Amino acid sequence: MSTLTEAPPPLASAAPAKKPPRRRGRLTPYWLLLPGILWLVVFFALPMVYQASTSVQTGSLEEGYKVTWHLATYWDALAEYWPQFLRSVLYAAAATVLCLLLGYPLAYLIAFRAGRWRNLIMILVIAPFFTSFLIRTLAWKTILADNSPVVHTLNTLHVLDLTSALGWTAGDRVLATPLAVVCGLTYNFLPFMILPLYTSLERIDGRLHEAAGDLYARPWTTFRKVTFPLSMPGVVSGTLLTFIPAAGDYVNAELLGSTDTRMIGNVIQTQFLRILDYPTAAALSFILMAAILAMVTLYIRRSGTEDLV
Amino acid sequence: MTTTDNSGDVRLSGIGKTYGSFTAVHPLDLTVPQGSFFALLGASGCGKTTTLRMIAGLEEPTQGTVHLGDQDVTHLPPYKRPVNTVFQSYALFPHLDIFENVAFGLRRRGIKSVKKQVEEMLELVQLGEQARKKPHQLSGGQQQRVAVARALINHPKVLLLDEPLGALDLKLRRQMQLELKRIQTEVGITFVHVTHDQEEAMTMADTVAVMNAGRVEQLGSPADLYENPGTTFVANFLGTSNLIEAEVDSTSGDDLVLKAGGGKLVLPRARCSAPATAGGKVLVGVRPEKISLTHADDAGEIPEGRNRLTGKIADASFIGVSTQYVVESPVCDELAVYVQNVERDGRLVPGADVVLHWSPAHTFGLDAAQDIDAGVETLEEEAA
Repeated sequence: MSTLTEAPPPLASAAPAKKPPRRRGRLTPYWLLLPGILWLVVFFALPMVYQASTSVQTGSLEEGYKVTWHLATYWDALAEYWPQFLRSVLYAAAATVLCLLLGYPLAYLIAFRAGRWRNLIMILVIAPFFTSFLIRTLAWKTILADNSPVVHTLNTLHVLDLTSALGWTAGDRVLATPLAVVCGLTYNFLPFMILPLYTSLERIDGRLHEAAGDLYARPWTTFRKVTFPLSMPGVVSGTLLTFIPAAGDYVNAELLGSTDTRMIGNVIQTQFLRILDYPTAAALSFILMAAILAMVTLYIRRSGTEDLV
Repeated sequence: MTTTDNSGDVRLSGIGKTYGSFTAVHPLDLTVPQGSFFALLGASGCGKTTTLRMIAGLEEPTQGTVHLGDQDVTHLPPYKRPVNTVFQSYALFPHLDIFENVAFGLRRRGIKSVKKQVEEMLELVQLGEQARKKPHQLSGGQQQRVAVARALINHPKVLLLDEPLGALDLKLRRQMQLELKRIQTEVGITFVHVTHDQEEAMTMADTVAVMNAGRVEQLGSPADLYENPGTTFVANFLGTSNLIEAEVDSTSGDDLVLKAGGGKLVLPRARCSAPATAGGKVLVGVRPEKISLTHADDAGEIPEGRNRLTGKIADASFIGVSTQYVVESPVCDELAVYVQNVERDGRLVPGADVVLHWSPAHTFGLDAAQDIDAGVETLEEEAA
């Protein structure tokens, strides 16, 4: 017992001396966030509210528009323009799939095989951004023109007979057909597919490929079981970055398509700028946004990327 | 395991690897017998990992052949070789859970019912509870055991280990060394282990090949390498050696008599790996723990027939089981001496004049044409 009495004083006596944590600097992160938040409020939140209110207004250009909570505009817009909605989704989906098929091998090449050419190829991927979107799309008009070498070759090889039978092209023309619009969309959004794919492929540890080979996986099996699953974050973000802007795009359909290939973006543009029917245009915008949001949510749930590292 | 079974032999014949003008591995012949625990030991960049990767098939040899048992596997891709590798920092598949990581090899070979085997293997490495976790949820030691399980479940003819314990802290490393040794004894598979840690190699392996600059310097059992190093690199890389430059004075029977400084040292001819002719130079080596230290006042009590050197203690550090002295001597600036702390002589403090003495049987002789400091670990290498 005597040893206990000689024990050092309990540690508790030292506790009150502990200083409270310093408070200064706690608000700094919020101050730093402020400019960004302000920007979003002014240029994103406020226009959204404004658009939402426009979509439930009635009236005319001469008499002015008033908020009357006329929700039927949504229903009418959907009933009238559902074919353009469907077409947008189809074209965007086709372009996304094409981008994935074209972009994946290229991203794979850059990430694993390019060696010292890596930076050069990356610059080539990004290079188109140095010229205007519009100019590049106009260039495709020349590429796909009726008397262009490309179309001539496709005609000679009877490829256009096949695509016309499928309804992708019309006769011996490529311009002003669905194929032309999808080609334009694919071209314009390809870098948005390649960059995220490259980023996620490049992060994969090369030793995982060796480990798979060491564990009896042939190269193709290694790709299916290791490389591709690990690149899923890139696949998901690449497809989203391609599909979302492609679904709302109107430039490609405007320049490369015809009245039969009008996408919902073209309709919204016409409603806003030519017919000046603001409520319908705003309603269409919101429907498009909601549709994309729903599809994206479903897609992310299905692909289960939250499981990936 | 029968001794006649040689399907797990690894035979490297004249195998070499060059990258452009750089030779990573000079043509080397090596046979690892079935069921042995073989270590390739060397500093980083010595070619040990390249050698291992050539056995695994991850690196194509520039010349020579690799045989596993009687099968020539030189040009087989890794997925067709009956060997498995435990990679440095493990290379576990981050998107698969522990169970699927371990089952990976079985599934690739088309085995359908893997559950029982995987569970047994996870029991062997004591990870039964973790089967459904992802690799990043495990500690380093656990990940290491998964890597071993993932390789062993395929019953490879040879298991290759590439610095498997490098990422673990010291205590865990000791534990895993014993664990790996236990597993190897249990499964009887040939293990080829690459490491830069000489203690690890000596603890675990039956046979150690010391590699330096793309060549095997010496091959033997840990005790043999330690007691009879053949080169200055081996003498310095495995433990510590005191190397003294000496001149051959004469021969007497089976011994060589050498002149070093003013004194004479005796070296059994059999323990001298250098050609020794009278007047020629040799390096005389002795391990620090073989040397006894006696205060100069008691020099008369030292038995006859022992090699002696005089010196002055420059530094002494007490480390519990022993005291490590650094002694300045006319023949060598820094002689290391480890003395067991049995009966400490209070006079052996820095500044004291002492006589170092050891049995001639503990002396070894090396070719003096080599770099005397080869294989001495520098601080930068230690940090790397």
